[in-house]
Amino acid sequence: MADVKGQEVAVKTEDTTPQEAQRRRPVVVTPPVDIYELEDGVVLFADMPGVPKENLDVQVDKNVLTIKGEIGDIVPKDITPLYVEFNGKAYERAFTLGPDVDVSKIEATMNAGVLKIFLPKSEEVKPKKIEVKVE
Amino acid sequence: MFRPWFSLSDPIWQDFDMLSREMEKIFNENYFSPAGVAAARVPMPAVNIGETADKVLVYLFAPGLDPKSIDLTIEKNLLSIAAGRDTAKELGEDAKVTGYYRKERFSGKFRRIISLPEGLDTSSIEAKYKNGILSISIKKKEEEQTKKIEVKVD
Repeated sequence: MADVKGQEVAVKTEDTTPQEAQRRRPVVVTPPVDIYELEDGVVLFADMPGVPKENLDVQVDKNVLTIKGEIGDIVPKDITPLYVEFNGKAYERAFTLGPDVDVSKIEATMNAGVLKIFLPKSEEVKPKKIEVKVE
Repeated sequence: MFRPWFSLSDPIWQDFDMLSREMEKIFNENYFSPAGVAAARVPMPAVNIGETADKVLVYLFAPGLDPKSIDLTIEKNLLSIAAGRDTAKELGEDAKVTGYYRKERFSGKFRRIISLPEGLDTSSIEAKYKNGILSISIKKKEEEQTKKIEVKVD
């Protein structure tokens, strides 16, 4: 038993040095967002610089909207950092949706690192104009 | 009357002002708020700098810019990047906004001045804007590049 355990440890240290593990672990950042209410829905903008469209994951599970995005490969492999302000590797944030959102009609677009999500209000809750008839 | 010998509105103090505001934010907001709730508080736009054997690379995390509006200049070893965005215009003029829940994203103009390492060939500067990241690549001068020297065996 002790032998097997020793082997496992040996394999791990050979495979990934602590520095390597540190580099591989994705640093998840909460993206800043703007959320506006419109007459016919809600619009969400999230800043996710570095995320290409194919690395984006927008999901709705019950009433929770989750946005996830991984930053693509932007730096060459042989780079040495000189100065770092931002060390995120991925973005993630979740929002609880109100009952008046029509989940089946959510639209998401990505442009220049900005994710835009439109959450339309379901027909029942949209403001309706009621005509007052004068007799 | 006592007068301050400098004004914080002087452009050269703006970076210090921004730095102190960022420090305040870190301590007042992120430090005591539950993990994961506070949004990423980095100065807009955040800058990363790195080097390879023959190049220095600058990355500016500035989403939502019009690439044509980016003003990039270099003077001696000072790289200056100026641009801006107006988040209010993203919705379009005909959008009927009735309110908002969050306004965390940067809106306005910015200028960042980056002091580059010495020994760069500033005539060979390349910049591209992709997925909200401005990548700038500047070649090192021939004599500053890391060279591999072959060891001969006699």
